[in-house]
Formats: sequence, structure tokens, C-alpha cells
Amino acid sequence: MAQNVTNVSQTEEVSSTRRVIAASSVGTLIEWYDFYIFGTLAKIISEQFFPKDNPTAALLATLATFAAGFVIRPFGALFFGRLGDLIGRKYTFLVTLVIMGGSTFAIGLVPGYKTIGFFAPAIVFALRLLQGLALGGEYGGAATYVAEHSPAGQRGFWTSFIQTTATLGLFLALGVILVVRQTLGVETFSDWGWRIPFILSSLLVGVSVFIRMKMSESPMFVKMKKEGKTSTNPLAESFKQKDNLKMVLIALLGATAGQGVVWYTGQFYALSFLQNACNVEFVQSNMIISIALLIGTPFFIVFGALSDKIGRKYIMMAGMLIAVLAYKPIYQIMYDSANLKSKIEVVEKTSVETKEAVKGTDTITTTVTKKTFADGTTYKETKKLTIPLDEAKKAELAAKDKLKPETKKEVTLPQDLFYKMIGLVFIQVVFVTMVYGPIAAFLVEIFPTRIRYTSMSLPYHIGNGVFGGLVPLISTRLVEATRPAPGLPPADPLAGLMYPILIASVSFVIGMLYISNKTNNMDVE
Amino acid sequence: MSAIKKLFGIVWSLMGIGIIPLVIMQAMKEIAAKPSEENWIFWSIVIVVLMPIIAFSLITFGVFALKGEYDVLE
Repeated sequence: MAQNVTNVSQTEEVSSTRRVIAASSVGTLIEWYDFYIFGTLAKIISEQFFPKDNPTAALLATLATFAAGFVIRPFGALFFGRLGDLIGRKYTFLVTLVIMGGSTFAIGLVPGYKTIGFFAPAIVFALRLLQGLALGGEYGGAATYVAEHSPAGQRGFWTSFIQTTATLGLFLALGVILVVRQTLGVETFSDWGWRIPFILSSLLVGVSVFIRMKMSESPMFVKMKKEGKTSTNPLAESFKQKDNLKMVLIALLGATAGQGVVWYTGQFYALSFLQNACNVEFVQSNMIISIALLIGTPFFIVFGALSDKIGRKYIMMAGMLIAVLAYKPIYQIMYDSANLKSKIEVVEKTSVETKEAVKGTDTITTTVTKKTFADGTTYKETKKLTIPLDEAKKAELAAKDKLKPETKKEVTLPQDLFYKMIGLVFIQVVFVTMVYGPIAAFLVEIFPTRIRYTSMSLPYHIGNGVFGGLVPLISTRLVEATRPAPGLPPADPLAGLMYPILIASVSFVIGMLYISNKTNNMDVE
Repeated sequence: MSAIKKLFGIVWSLMGIGIIPLVIMQAMKEIAAKPSEENWIFWSIVIVVLMPIIAFSLITFGVFALKGEYDVLE
């Protein structure tokens, strides 16, 4: 009889934990989706809101892309982290969800630069900042909330579901964009169809808010509040007290910085490398990343659960070390697989087609060259030259050396190389799952309940937002530095890997030396 | 292990201190060579955001390590 009561109680506990995980994860996933659609559609957004001929708008475009990604996220972490430690986890991460959903929905409705002028980029910039602020507050809340509901010894497993949300959010963003783009066609999508993924967010957020409203507050926070043990000043306690500050630093330097660069390299840099260095066609490159992400996602749970058995430290450190050693060979294979110089061209299949059309005050000459290679790879190069009909304008542009065609290169890989690329990106996603799967449990366990939300949010968002978020900017810069002259290909297309390799190496050494593997069983109370 | 942790504390502190002049000199060199808006934005981000975080965290972490603050975590 007593055995039956215990079994029923255990089943109820598991079922309740599952509800908590589902409700928390859905909301966090939607927040990541909201955050990523802006980044993924950055080019279209830039054309709609940030015209290149207006320098202030162009500056706002750069800042909107980067500032919200790294400067604002840590501020969101501090602001909402403090609130979460003062008033509770549930209401705080409910607020972040509403702010994120509201600002994403609003971006989808803002009229373009052509309609309202400078107000357009200014409003979008402000909304992007709100997105960053909300994201900064969301993750720490969700991870803390789930961990505080999880039974001891299973925190790695349960919190790993939260860890899947960033990758699934990216997958969802890529998927929705691809489906809408394919359904409406490229032109309609660039014109107004890009707004649909933003507007769709309101529906997703509405459902998630409804689910989260029904959730109860974290039991540990409720207990602490009843006992009057909540912190009165979480910021001061987190960062002014030496005992806690030293843990914040070890979390940042020994874990989240390395994790951040591995995360961004394996997912974002891989996509950027496929599209810019390998010139792989838009849909195919996104398919490669999406499939690799989908296959790799269960490994977050595998490594999260494994960390409950063998500790968080060695899994995260192994992920960083293998990534450091494997990045160069992996990217070299990716580059070689798409490198046309090493392929044999089937000359008889080559075609060149030129079209000329007058559009407004310009003559547009479009030259499309199509090539086929022996291994099945196809290449399409579109050169679009815009020449003003007005002779004076034409002479002015020629004098400034601005009469150059826009060139778009598209490589479409055959089936075998397509799968090979998926495999290579998948390996990188596995590194991501090794460093990222156990990290929520690791962060939760090194900070006390009274200041957990604040303390864990800041190193997480500096590691991911600053160290990780800067991967595209710094890596692109490193590659550009090897370009012998404008228009020529870079001498070392892999130079961009130096930044993630360096940061992950330092993080690995610090983590190995200073992080304890014993934290996995620390009492959360 | 404790001695290695302390010894590396000096390394982290020196790295944190060393990164400041290194980054500033590189920024000045590159901006002087090509004072484009792109260069200004890039180096402003590195100097205002990334460098202070790396320098502050490495120096503080190094000092803590040198004082043996992390020995108890073994």
C-alpha cells in the first residue's frame, strides 16, 4: 500500500515537472524565434528600413544588428534578473515574453523608410533594443524556474530541454522564412511577405502567455519568500560580494565565453561560411543548417542527462577541446567540397544569356552564366549592371568608378555533397550540444537561490551575447584582412576561425583548472 | 594543483593588462591607415564593449586565483 502511494506520488511529480518543462520551453523557444527572424532577415530589413544612401540609417542598421545582440542582452539580464530575485520567477519571465512578442509583432507592422522616412529606422531600432532586453531576462528565468522544479540528480536532464530551445528557435525561424518565401515567391517576400514571420509571432506568444499564466511560482522561491529570506538587493549581493563575484567570473571565463563562441560558430558562422565563402545557394544552405540542427538537437538532452551521471565539467570541456581541434579540418573540407577550382567543368553545358531592359531612368543589363561540373555541381552567376539613361549622371558614376555590376554567385551542390555538408555541420552542432546541453544546470548549481536569477543571467548573456555574438563581426573582419585587394578572393578563407578557437582555448584551460566537477550534486537550496 | 592555479593567476592578470594597449594600438594603426566609417564602428565596438569585459574579468579573476580564492573548489 505504502509502495503504491510512493509510486503515485512519483508519477505525479514527473508529470508536474513535464508540464513545467513544456510551458517554460515553449515560451523560451518563441523568444528565440522572435530574436532570430530579425537576424535572419537582416538584409531585407536593411533594405526596407535602413537605406544605404542615408549614413545615419546605415549606422542604425549596424547598431541594431549588433547592439541588441550583445550590449542590451546583459542589461536585460541585470534588469529582469533582479526583478526575478525580488518578485519571483514566474511573473518576470511572463513579462519578458510579452515584451518580446509585442516588439516582434510591432516590427512586422512598421511602415518602411519610403513611407515615414527616418522614423522607420528609429522605431525599428528601438523595438530591436526591446527584443534584446527581453531576451536578456528570459533565459535565466526559464533555466532557474525549471531547475528549481527538478529533482536533485536530474537537473541536467530536465534543464537540457530549455537548452534545445535556442537551436529549435533558430530552426523554426529558418523554417517559417523558407516556407513563406517559397509560397509567396522571392519578389513578393522581399516586398511585404517578410512581415508574415514577425506577425505570426503574436499568435505563438499569445498561446505561450496563456500557458505560462497557468503555471505556479517556483517552489524554492515561494519557500524562501515565506521564510523572509529573499534578497533585498540582488545586484549588490551578486557582484559586490567576493564569494559570489568569483563564481560569476569563473562561470564567464571558464564556461559561457567558450560555450558562446562554439555555439555561434557551429550554427551562425557555419551558415555564413556556406553562403559567403562557399557561395552555396540560399535555399540549399538553409536546408543544410536546418537538417543538421534538427538531427543534432536530441544530443542536448543526451549530454544534459549524461552530465547528471558524470558531472557537467568534463562534457563541456571535451566539447570545447574537440571543437578547437576540429574546426580547421571541418571548414577546410566544407570549402574544398564547394570549391569550383577543383572541379571539372562540362563545357558543352555552359550557357550565357544577356538581357537588357529599361526600368525608370536606368538601363539594366543582366548577364546570367550557368555552368555544370562533372560531379553534378551547378553554378549560376548573375551580373546586373545598372546604367543611368542620363549621360551626365552616367559620366559622374563612371568618374567615381561606380559603374560596376552587382554580382551574385550561386553554387548548387549535388546530392552526395549536400549530405556531406549536412554531416559536417551536424558534427559542429554536436560540439554545441556538448558545451550547451549541461550549462544551465551548471550555472544554476553554482549560485544560491536568493540571487540565482541575477547571478546566472549576466555571465550567460555576456558569454553568449558578447563573446559569441561577436563571432560574425570579428571572423568576417579576420577573413577580410587576408583579402589582397578589393574584388579578389581572400587568401585565407579560414582565418575567421582564429577568434572562436582562441576564446574556446582560453576558456578550456580556465575551465579545466578552476571549475569543480563536484558541483553536479550540489544542493540547489 | 593549488600552486598551478596561483601561478596561472599571474598569467590571467597579465593577459588582462596586456590586452588594453595591444587593442588600442591596433585600432589606432588601422584607423589611421583607413579612416572609414566601417573601421570606426568595428574598433568602437571592440574598445567600448569587448576589451573592458575581457580586461576587467581577466585581471579580477587572475587576482582571485593568485590569492587562492579558487583553491577551495578542488
